[in-house]
Amino acid sequence: MTSTLSSYIQSIPYIKENLYWLTEMLGPEVTAFVIFFIGAFIVANVMALVGGLGTYAERKISADIQQRIGPNRVGPLGILQFLADGVKMIMKENIVPRDADKFLYYLGPLLCMVGIFAACAVLPISSGFILADLNVGVFYLLAISSLVGLGILLGGYSSNSKWSMLGGMRGASQIISYEIPVTISILAIVVLSGGLSFGKIVQSQSGLPTEWYVFHNPFTFIAFIVYFIASLAEANRAPFDLPEAESELVSGYHTEFTGMRFAFFALAEYVEVFVLCTVASALFLGGYNVPFRLGGDSLLGQVLQTIVFFSKTCFLYYVVIWIRWTLPRLRVDQLMTLCWKYLTPIALFNLVGVSIWLVIFDGKSLLQLIKGLF
Amino acid sequence: MFVKFLFIASSLLTIVSALSMLMTKDIMHACIFLLGALMGVAGLFLTLGADFLAATQVMVYIGGVVVLMLFAVMLTGGNELNKRGLNPVPLMGNKFTFALGVFGASMFFIVVYQLLYKIFHYFHLSVVDSYESTVEKIGRLLLTDHILAFEISSVLLLGALVGAAIIARPKRN
Repeated sequence: MTSTLSSYIQSIPYIKENLYWLTEMLGPEVTAFVIFFIGAFIVANVMALVGGLGTYAERKISADIQQRIGPNRVGPLGILQFLADGVKMIMKENIVPRDADKFLYYLGPLLCMVGIFAACAVLPISSGFILADLNVGVFYLLAISSLVGLGILLGGYSSNSKWSMLGGMRGASQIISYEIPVTISILAIVVLSGGLSFGKIVQSQSGLPTEWYVFHNPFTFIAFIVYFIASLAEANRAPFDLPEAESELVSGYHTEFTGMRFAFFALAEYVEVFVLCTVASALFLGGYNVPFRLGGDSLLGQVLQTIVFFSKTCFLYYVVIWIRWTLPRLRVDQLMTLCWKYLTPIALFNLVGVSIWLVIFDGKSLLQLIKGLF
Repeated sequence: MFVKFLFIASSLLTIVSALSMLMTKDIMHACIFLLGALMGVAGLFLTLGADFLAATQVMVYIGGVVVLMLFAVMLTGGNELNKRGLNPVPLMGNKFTFALGVFGASMFFIVVYQLLYKIFHYFHLSVVDSYESTVEKIGRLLLTDHILAFEISSVLLLGALVGAAIIARPKRN
């Protein structure tokens, strides 16, 4: 069954009584729509905030790594820097290159934003707060986030500049290539959990690391690493940020974009990193499960689950930024070699390995097998 | 009601994008309108309860086919073509051919209408309130009843992959 935010909220007795007049007045469908609208509004705004804070975190952490101070003027510790940046972006003059293909120029950043914010619909934030726990959740996320690659390609093409064009082409080919190891390493987890819905996958793990899928067996551990590397490349993060390589391409596909259009690209990138970290934590690191099921499914439990979810994801986010400021950029041929000669075969091998493990050991994890020996 | 609204919106998206795809002269814009039409079809699948099919439609057509089309368009450009798309071509034909075309089109419409008459009149859009998952059913069918088609298509794809690798391989001297 597809469970949704609306069905969860209407199952809480306290809220159900208070929503009674609304259901009476508007009918069940419109009530569900109102709940969804509010939920989607919250998620979209939180994601925008995450994107903004992402830029702040990036600058602060990179400053730490390079022994600088970083932004420290706007607000305490400079935490409001992203708001100042946002205001600056809105105030900026909106420049469209004279020979640009205007229709596609306007569409490119939007496609990036739409693709990544549509993917947020299936993020499992807590057992109740998931906008739509689709039966095909993982598949949907992979499918809809491919709009980002299209947006990058169009942004690069339409600005009618060589740097942008090269960046856009690189971006699109990189995203298409790295979708394959990402998908196959996710399939390994889907095979283990027996479902494509995020809720099912998360609930078949538990709060303690011993029952996370990443430690289920050696193959899933490798799958996690493959997924993490490939998702870095899918989000165009360093060391795979060839589409926007400053030293070669000025700044790649968004060279010609100013103001809010540039901000859309940047925001889409940061939110995409967050979404990919979310997927990693939900599929491999136990997702929102609280250790020992503290709080259960009550409201307190939901809050604890949200905290657990955000702390896992933010830790991965930190690792992503850490990697970006540690490793140098790859060359294009090295990038493609890594994808097609290493990650894809390893991911395929893992998928077969997980399937064989599932059949031989009847789905038991390595730790359970060791425990069974004594 | 809400699902019906989504159904109508998806149909409109499909039809409007398909028409604009035909009308536009810029081949890149045509690709993007095609994307809109494919998205609309995915929406139609979704409102009719085929969730897996809708996700597959987005995955294969929007993530793969449209991007490949854009690549192909970029690879085939040349100096003789005008910058974006096709040069306008004057209409070919005379009154007789136009009359024949109109006659053929109307005959085709009548035949299709006769075929679809029953569906138009006796079929009501049954909106599904609670979706049943189609993933398990499709998986089961693919690995039991339709195993042959499944395997043949996988062999076909493998052949295409090997062929692409051979074509793209640098020549060793």
